[in-house]
Amino acid sequence: MSKILHIDLSKKTFEAYEDHKLYDEYIGGTGVATKLLYDMHIENIHPYDENSPIIFSIGPFNGIYPMATKTIAMFKSPLTGNLGESHAGGRLFMSMYDAGLSAIVITGKLSEPSYIAIEDENVHFVRATSIWGQSAPATERILRGQEAGVGKRSIIRIGPAGEHLSPMAAVTVDTARHFGRLGLGGVMGSKNLKAIVISGSKRRKMNNFPAFNKIYTEIYSKAVHSSAMKKYHNLGTPQNVLPLNKINGLPTRNFSQGFFEGAKFLSGENMAHNYLAQQIACANCPVGCIHLAVLRKPFQDDIHYKTFKVSYDYEPIYALGTNLSINDPEELLDILNIVEKAGWDAMETGVTLSWATEAFEKGLISTKETKGLILNFGNAEVYKKVLLKMLENKDEFFKDLNRGSAYCANKYGGKSFAINFGGLGSPGYITGRDAFLGFLMGVRHSHLDSAGYSLDEQIVNGTLTPDEKKEVDLLIKEEEWRFILNSLAVCLFARKIYSEELVIRGLKALGITKTSDDLLKISKKIHRLKYKIKISNGFDMNKLSFPEKLYTVQTSRGKMDKETIKRMIKDYRSRIENLLYAI
Amino acid sequence: MTRKVMRVINREQCIGCYSCMYACSRTYFHIATTKLSAMRIKNYPGVEGAFSIRICAGCPDPDCAKACPTEALTVRKGGGVDFHEEKCIHCHKCVDACLLDALQWDPVLKEPLVCSQCGVCAAFCPNNVIALVEVDDE
Repeated sequence: MSKILHIDLSKKTFEAYEDHKLYDEYIGGTGVATKLLYDMHIENIHPYDENSPIIFSIGPFNGIYPMATKTIAMFKSPLTGNLGESHAGGRLFMSMYDAGLSAIVITGKLSEPSYIAIEDENVHFVRATSIWGQSAPATERILRGQEAGVGKRSIIRIGPAGEHLSPMAAVTVDTARHFGRLGLGGVMGSKNLKAIVISGSKRRKMNNFPAFNKIYTEIYSKAVHSSAMKKYHNLGTPQNVLPLNKINGLPTRNFSQGFFEGAKFLSGENMAHNYLAQQIACANCPVGCIHLAVLRKPFQDDIHYKTFKVSYDYEPIYALGTNLSINDPEELLDILNIVEKAGWDAMETGVTLSWATEAFEKGLISTKETKGLILNFGNAEVYKKVLLKMLENKDEFFKDLNRGSAYCANKYGGKSFAINFGGLGSPGYITGRDAFLGFLMGVRHSHLDSAGYSLDEQIVNGTLTPDEKKEVDLLIKEEEWRFILNSLAVCLFARKIYSEELVIRGLKALGITKTSDDLLKISKKIHRLKYKIKISNGFDMNKLSFPEKLYTVQTSRGKMDKETIKRMIKDYRSRIENLLYAI
Repeated sequence: MTRKVMRVINREQCIGCYSCMYACSRTYFHIATTKLSAMRIKNYPGVEGAFSIRICAGCPDPDCAKACPTEALTVRKGGGVDFHEEKCIHCHKCVDACLLDALQWDPVLKEPLVCSQCGVCAAFCPNNVIALVEVDDE
């Protein structure tokens, strides 16, 4: 499959074309999306400019093998100004596969609020002023009833946050999956694009059915019957809460410490036993790691009840729970529900609120800015009021909060404790230098780029010996291998199952021959292009540093030494530069 | 007489992964899709996590066969129906007659997708939602 559908929202035109060479060279998923974005030369355009593109891209394993459930979104990030890349599960990959589309490239701007419906290679443009302002979940309910489509569909949409052009707005995919990070929601909002409904009716017989069937069954069996996916199948990502807390790796009160005294209340165990309604899955994934909690709340004389379901994961628990010192699971779920409806990135929202709380404590902002609200760690009631003010998007300070922690620290001060890397709010780990180095140098500043926390953990438990050079080596090696997994595009939770050997075999069964060496070369090429995009769009290699506050906290590996970190950043940087200038 | 037919045994345990539908389409059509499956996992608009499993009940006296004007569907020994493609006039009456909404339709060939009660869908269910179950018609 190598079909790309280009949609021009300004002209309301669309055109599909094949590009076999591109897919041969870059596999699919993140590889192809990177090359497409690179060739579009986004250097001199604002992320919200009419010409700013949105790319959705899947790879050769999507729709074919179990747990290959990701769709890669690529765009110019309104938060960092450079490479915007976010991955989401759900059913989107399946709908694109059913439509026979490997990539969808959207440019232009709609003249009025609208949504688009993609059916195979056809696109309908539908005026949608009546649903502008609807929450992200409500938009799905409405469109699912409205759009008949063919069979299973995927619906992706923005909430009010995206409409307000918040650079920390997410795009919600089907049930409780998100293109969360780096502001795709704002880009969609800037195009007046409320939602995209995708369905397809294509069918392709497998050329080598026995080979495909054998590998499918092998992967399925490993997913269901081995221990590889147990963590995700059982407690899900919140299983990390207690182990991280035990090693002082759980960010608490804006990264002041790695131990949260209320961790047991927000642990995967407590959430599962007391709030979990059920697990659900992305299409074609037997693991089912999506955890939906149920929250029952009284209203009207405390004798009427309303019940809602909201998904929870480790990162939102850190960002809106431990890092804000909220230990009541019900308050946390209530906050998550507000964030889900508004359509913000839960992580950026949490990091921004934790910066604001510390800025308030330190007197950089006062009740004058907050309109009388007193920000205190642990005060869920006030945080909810702040979020609702942010949703109104009227008062200056709350409008500013909508623009994320880096913007706020720039305007009000407190850069040293605005815990972001390259402009993106930090993921939830204080495990040590490898986690932070990965956030700083990773192409999308995500914990999923190179999983440095895992190296920190190995060093803490003694299975890896600390070594500056080797740690940088391992981070780069991991990130580059993940470019291949993200080109296929499999869920990274399944990375233990998708070994290089299996990937090569899986490709071969589909008639794609790649050697280990080919994959390495492709991953380097992808890395190079991504960094070229970053640098040409303003990512400054001369300004690489951690937020100062991090040097004062005890990580799982103790306090970080500034000189060592400087050396490691320099080393990392020189390796990226070698990559950039290599032929 | 005892016979084995598909049954939903734990509806509430469904996680909506569609592995069953993928298994059915894969086995009978060699195509990686949910769409050629002789069963369906239904979602409800806006109800998160609620799935309804529509699977051929293997009726001893099936409505779909009764509704077929050309005897393209005939009662199978042990329950359910056999499909005789050459007799099918693509009228869709069989699908309309299935109260369970279990009998699916192939929109390209314009034919019913008939369940053969083989249990491959159950073999690929990770959560024990569906199973081939022995029933006694006494």
